[in-house]
Amino acid sequence: MNDRLQTALYALERLEEEARRDSPLHRTDARAKLLVTTIFLATMLSVPLARLSEILLYALFPILTAAQGGMRYGPIFRRSLFVVPFVALVGIFNVFYARTPVFRIGPLTVTEGWIALLSMLLRGLLATQALLTMIGSTGIFSLCRGMQRLGIPRPFTTQLLFVYRYLHVMIDEALNMSRAREARSYGRRTFPLRVWAPLVGQLLIRTFDRAEQIHRAMLARGFDGRIPDCTGASTPWCRRDTLYLLGWSTALLATRLCYPVEKLTRLL
Amino acid sequence: MHMSDALVSPTVFAVAGAASLTLLGAAIRKMQPANRLSHATDRYDDRIVPTMGAMGAFVFAAQMINFAIPGTGSSGHLIGGILLAAVLGPWAAFVTLCSVLLLQCLLFADGGFMALGCNILNMAALTCLVAYPLVFRPLMRHAASPARIFTASMLASTVGLCLGATAVTLETEWSGITALPFGRFLLFMLPIHLAIGIGEGLATGAVLCVLRHYKPELLADVRCRRPRTRFRPGRALAAIVLAALLIGGSFSWLASSQPDGLEWAIERTSGGNDAAPATDALHRTAATFQETTALLPDYDTSLAGLVGCGIILLAAWGGTQLLRAGRRQP
Repeated sequence: MNDRLQTALYALERLEEEARRDSPLHRTDARAKLLVTTIFLATMLSVPLARLSEILLYALFPILTAAQGGMRYGPIFRRSLFVVPFVALVGIFNVFYARTPVFRIGPLTVTEGWIALLSMLLRGLLATQALLTMIGSTGIFSLCRGMQRLGIPRPFTTQLLFVYRYLHVMIDEALNMSRAREARSYGRRTFPLRVWAPLVGQLLIRTFDRAEQIHRAMLARGFDGRIPDCTGASTPWCRRDTLYLLGWSTALLATRLCYPVEKLTRLL
Repeated sequence: MHMSDALVSPTVFAVAGAASLTLLGAAIRKMQPANRLSHATDRYDDRIVPTMGAMGAFVFAAQMINFAIPGTGSSGHLIGGILLAAVLGPWAAFVTLCSVLLLQCLLFADGGFMALGCNILNMAALTCLVAYPLVFRPLMRHAASPARIFTASMLASTVGLCLGATAVTLETEWSGITALPFGRFLLFMLPIHLAIGIGEGLATGAVLCVLRHYKPELLADVRCRRPRTRFRPGRALAAIVLAALLIGGSFSWLASSQPDGLEWAIERTSGGNDAAPATDALHRTAATFQETTALLPDYDTSLAGLVGCGIILLAAWGGTQLLRAGRRQP
């Protein structure tokens, strides 16, 4: 329990730290990154499952953007492995249902089902990696501002930022309670419902009290229902952003429309 | 239950995204009182947003604390839709859950970005906007007993999760991702989510009982006595249609391992499993055309493509490593 809470807290801090670094990708406008990531996901997900090699080509995007953002690809890849079990759980059935052989490597016959499973895993991995590079090079605050400037209603983005800001407070609070409970429970690991319910109920009540305190403090300092845009300043849209958006979107759309891998192998 | 991007197709995520954005817009409008000029409503407006923020963060934190499910060796955790709705009201709870889902997707890579629309529909809309008003609220009374709270939250959570599981199955099936027939997939999903729903119901009921004991004023949405609403045919009709869909979905598809009417008719009339291959010129051209445009017409080229792609990727990765090394040197 404590481990999970601490891991989450650590992940949040790491993310903030990562977003504060400087690189060409970090300097790109959040709106451009959001749009390019969306185009990437839409084009990649629209490639049919049977075209495994085309989907593989899309792995260039996370690799190159990670390099552009000065991030190491290894950890991003490792973090994206998190999706494998969820996707495999659904995809594994394709192996049993689609048994048409597609090609063979030596004695090994690869069927349609295996191709579909591999494509699904790849789609999951690549989608997660693209998201991780985007969030790692942007940070929640700039991303929220970007979303707001792209037309997401303000109450939602404000609320999102509130959840994010209170997250640290709440995880800390939960960690305290869980630690106190562990110190008094003589090594018993699991929470029976009888103990869990008052604990979480207390956490909820504390959350409310805390929220009210913070809200009053904010009102006293002139809070008018909207979080001012101080973080990230108001970055103007500049030529770099246009280039980034145009370059990637043409490359991605061209890859989607032309199927270059298949054409090249035909040529060879 | 979080759907990954790998499991949805463009059509499905576009439709689900549009639907959930519309719902989100409606929810935000519902949260804001009609005349924003008056002072009193303005205060209401800016107090609910921080409270929702705190509740969202609470759901996040509470999800990381597991409890032991009595009688089994497993553990469960709170998902929070019904709890949020009971405290904040369904619309505010919906907006809060949306932001929790978005943050889960961005911070912890839990659920995809494109699949967010599907996830919002499956987890937020079906619990806060369907299970809560149709199941939880009718069962609650003013100053309800703990047993009643437990029953209501158990039923509402189970219904919400099973509806969600059905929606996941439908969306995956419509995406054409899995080769698994719908009925079997549903049979695989429903028992799991029934169990999760019972766990979630226990958790929600327990927390609501604690709240009722220590801070009953928090259960504002449940406690306030509503004027007795008259029978609304629209709502009843929606419930009946939903139940019919659920039952029809779970049972009629089970029977479909038998050949359906058309297949049966073809088998009877042609005497074989398949229609005989046609021999006229038009069909032959169509067949060759299909061969050339088929997904993997020739396994040699596709294998070569895979290998080539792998080499390109390795080269790109190596290039970036070299670049990094070069940057580190000076």
